Amino acid sequence: MTDLLQQLVNGLTLGSLYALIAVGYTVVYGIVQLINFAHGEVFMIGAFGALATWTVLFQGTTALWVLPVMILGAVVASVTTAVIMERIAYRPLRGAPRLAPLITAIGISVALQEAVRLFYPGAKSKIPFPRIDVVTGPALSFGGVTVQRAAVFTVGALLMSAALLWWFVNHTRTGHGMQAVSEDKDTARLMGVNVDRIIVIAFALGAFLAAIAGVAQGLLNANVDFRMGFLAGLKAFTAAVLGGIGNIQGAVVGGLVLGVAEALAVGFIPGQFGGSAWKDVWAFVLLIVVLVFRPQGILGARVVDRA
Amino acid sequence: MSTSTDIDTGYADEADQVSIWDRIGRPVAPFAWPLVLGGAVILAAGCFLSWSYTSDVLGNLSIDFYPGAIQNLMIIAAILAVLFALMYRGPLSRLGEWLASATALRTLGLGSTVFMALVIALIGLQSGGLINVMPGAWVSLVGAVLLLVGAAGLTPRASRDPLHAHLPAWLDILTIVVLLATVLFGAAYVLDIEDGTVFSLVVLFTGLVAYTLTRAGFFTWVGIVAQTHRRVLMLGAVAVAFLFPFTQDGSDANMSIATQVLIFASTALGLNIVVGLAGLLDLGYIAFLGAGAYIGAMFSHSAFATIGWKPNFLVVVVIGALVSATLGLIIGSPTLRVSGDYLAIVTLAFGEIFRLAMGNLDGQDGPKLTNGPNGIPAIPDLEIGGFSFGETHEVLGITLGRFANYYFLLLLLAAFIITVFTRLNDSRIGRGWIAIREDEKAAEAMGVNTFGLKLFAFAGGAFLAGMAGTIKAHHDVSVTPDQYIFLESAFLLAAVVLGGMGTVAGVLIGATILKLMPEKLRFVADYRLLIFGLLLVLMMRFRPEGIVASKRRQLEFHEEDEELADRVEEVHLVEEQEAKA
Repeated sequence: MTDLLQQLVNGLTLGSLYALIAVGYTVVYGIVQLINFAHGEVFMIGAFGALATWTVLFQGTTALWVLPVMILGAVVASVTTAVIMERIAYRPLRGAPRLAPLITAIGISVALQEAVRLFYPGAKSKIPFPRIDVVTGPALSFGGVTVQRAAVFTVGALLMSAALLWWFVNHTRTGHGMQAVSEDKDTARLMGVNVDRIIVIAFALGAFLAAIAGVAQGLLNANVDFRMGFLAGLKAFTAAVLGGIGNIQGAVVGGLVLGVAEALAVGFIPGQFGGSAWKDVWAFVLLIVVLVFRPQGILGARVVDRA
Repeated sequence: MSTSTDIDTGYADEADQVSIWDRIGRPVAPFAWPLVLGGAVILAAGCFLSWSYTSDVLGNLSIDFYPGAIQNLMIIAAILAVLFALMYRGPLSRLGEWLASATALRTLGLGSTVFMALVIALIGLQSGGLINVMPGAWVSLVGAVLLLVGAAGLTPRASRDPLHAHLPAWLDILTIVVLLATVLFGAAYVLDIEDGTVFSLVVLFTGLVAYTLTRAGFFTWVGIVAQTHRRVLMLGAVAVAFLFPFTQDGSDANMSIATQVLIFASTALGLNIVVGLAGLLDLGYIAFLGAGAYIGAMFSHSAFATIGWKPNFLVVVVIGALVSATLGLIIGSPTLRVSGDYLAIVTLAFGEIFRLAMGNLDGQDGPKLTNGPNGIPAIPDLEIGGFSFGETHEVLGITLGRFANYYFLLLLLAAFIITVFTRLNDSRIGRGWIAIREDEKAAEAMGVNTFGLKLFAFAGGAFLAGMAGTIKAHHDVSVTPDQYIFLESAFLLAAVVLGGMGTVAGVLIGATILKLMPEKLRFVADYRLLIFGLLLVLMMRFRPEGIVASKRRQLEFHEEDEELADRVEEVHLVEEQEAKA
C-alpha cells in the first residue's frame, strides 16, 4: 500500500511537470493547428534562463526570495524565444503544406539545443541547478511515503498556473478572443479579433508555463542539460494528445494520467520489461496506442485533426 | 480614395525593386558591354599577379605569373564572364538568344565581387593585416567591381524556351559527358584539398558558378537533355561513380568519406520513397537502418554476436531487409487511422522505442540480443565468394583499399535503390502515391488503395534501409544504440528536404553536402548541427522544394504561381508528344 502511494506521489509530480509543458502544445495547436515541436526546447531554455539569472545576480545565495526573480528570468527567456520563433519561422509558413511547419519545427528544435550547448558556458555537460531554501532540501515524509520538497513546489505551481490560465481564458477579453480564434479563425477576424496577436499570445502563454516547468525540473533534478527538452517535450506532447489536443483541461488531466501511468509501470510491471529502463518505452507505447485508438483523447479534442 | 493610393504604392514598390540594378546601371548603360569585357580581363589579369605577401595563406597565392588554386577560380569566373558577354553581343549572340546572359552576368559580377572581398578579408585575417595583401588582389577586386557595374548596365532580355531548342543528339550527349567528367574530376580535386578555408572557398565558388548557370537558364536545358537521353545519363553516372576510387590511388581517408556518403545517401533515398513520393513524414526512419545493422551484427562472425547461426552474407542481407520491412509494416499500420502530424509523432515514438529497446536487451532488462549500450563490437570484414573486403587489391597498378571495396558494394546497393525508386515512381504505384500526397480523400474516391499503398511505402522504404544497414554493420565494425538517435533521423530528413523531395539527384546532392561538409571542415564540425537546424528552417522558408526541385512538388509548395503551373503543364504536354512519336 505504501508502495502504491509512493508511486502515485512520484507519478503526480512527474505528471504535473508534463501537464505544465503540455498546456503549451495544446494552446498553440488549438489556435493554429501546429505541433510546435520546438516547445520542449522552450522549456529547456526556461530552465537555463533561471540558471543564468541566478548565476549573474545571486551567485551563492540560497534564500527563498531569489526564486521569484529566477522564475521571472526563466519566463523572459522562454517567452522571448517563443515569440521570436513564431514571428520569424512559423508566421511566414501559414497556409503552406503541413509538412513545411513540422520540418521547420524540427530545425528550430535542433538549432536551439545546439545554440545552448555551444554558447552557454559549460553547457556541454550537465550543469548543477542552484539549491533554494524551503523548496529543496531534506525530503518530507508522511507515514513511509517520502515527498520531495521540489515536488510540492511543482504540484503547487501546476495548481496555481492552471487556475490563472482558466481565469485568463474565460474571464478576459483576450481569452475570449483566443476561444473565438480557435473556434473559427476567419470569422473571428471578421469580428475584429486581431488573429496575429492572439497567436503570439498563445505562444507566449505556452512559453510562460514551460518556463515554470523548467524551473521546477531544475529543482527536482538538481541539474539542467541542453538535451532535457527533447524527451520532456515528447512526453508532454503525449500528455496533450492523451487529454485531447486543443483542450486545456485535457492537457492537465493527460499530464497527470501519463505521469501516474509511467510511475506505475516502473513499480508494477513484473519481470524484465518492468523497471526504470523501460519506463520511456511504456510511455511511448501509450502515446501510440492513444494516437491510434483514441486520437481525440480522454476529454475529447477541441480540434479535429484536419490532415 | 484610400484604395487607389494603396494600389499606387503597390506599383511603386515593385518599380523600386526593379530599379536597384537599373539605378547603378543607367549611367554606365552606353558603355556597359566594354565595361564587362574590360572588368573580366582585369579580373583575370590580377590573378596572374601575387595576391598575398606570405606564402602560407589560402594555399600559396604569393608567386607572380603562377596562379594558385583560388586565383584559378577567379580566372574561370573571368572566362565565364567573357563568354556571357560575347553571348550578349558579338560572335556568340545566337547562343545568347537561348541563355539569359545579362542576368547571369549580374549574378556572376555580384558573386565575384563578394568572393574577392572575402578572399582579401581572409588574407588580411590570416596573415595579420591588410598590409600583406599584394596589389594583384586589389586589381582583381577592381576587375570584379567593374564587371558588376557593367553587368548592371546591360538590359536583361527574355530568352527563348529551351524546350524548343532541338540540337543534334551528339551535342546533347557531349554535354552530358562533359558535365559528368567535370563532376568526377571536380570531386577528386575538391576532396584532395587539405586546407579547410580553401575547401570552403572552392565549394562557395562552385555554388556561385552553378547559380550563375541556373540564372542563365542553362540547367533548364540540361534538365531537358537529361530527360531525352536518360539512358546515356544513367550509364555515364554509373561510370563516373565506378571510376571515382581510381582517382584516389589508395587514399583511405577520402574513400571512407565516400562510403559514408553512400550509406547515408542510400538510406536517404529509401526515406525519400516515404516522404518524397508518398508524402508521409517518417521521423523514426533511422530505426530501419538500425534494424538492418543489428541483424548484420548478430549474424556476423563477431565474437560478441548473440546468435549462433552464421549464414552466408547474402542470406543475412535478405533477413535484415525482411526484418526491417516487417518493422516498417508495424510502424506503417497506424497510417490506417492516423495521418499528418500525428503520424509523424507515431513514427518518432517508434524510433525512440527501437533505440531504447536496443539499449535494454542486454540480458538483464530483457533477453540478451544486443549487449545493451555497449553494442556489438569487432564485426569482421565481409567475405563474399572468397573476396575479402578487408584486404587491399591492385587493379591496373592502382591500389584499392578496404573502403574502396565497400564503396563498390555500396555502389551496387545505391544503384539498386535508385532503380527501385525510379521504377516505382514511374509506375501505377508511384502515381498512386502522388495522388495520396496531393489529396488523400480524392485519391481514395478515385479508387486508389490508399492504405495498401501507404503500407507499401513504409515497408518498401524500410526494406531498402535494412539492406543498407547490414552492410553498414560490417563497414562500421561495431553497432551501438547511440548511432540510431532521433537526430540521425532528422539528419536524413534534412538531406531529403535540402536536396529536393521526390528526386534522386537532389537527395544525392543533399546527402553529399550534409556528410562531406563536417568531414572536410574541422571548424564546422562542432557547429554542424546548429547549421543544419537553421538550414532546415531557411529551406522551408525560402525554397521548400529543395535544391533540385521536382516540378510537381514545386507546384504543391507554390500553389498560387500560375506561371509555374503553365510550365509544368507544357512540360507534360511535350513529354506526351515525345512518348507518342
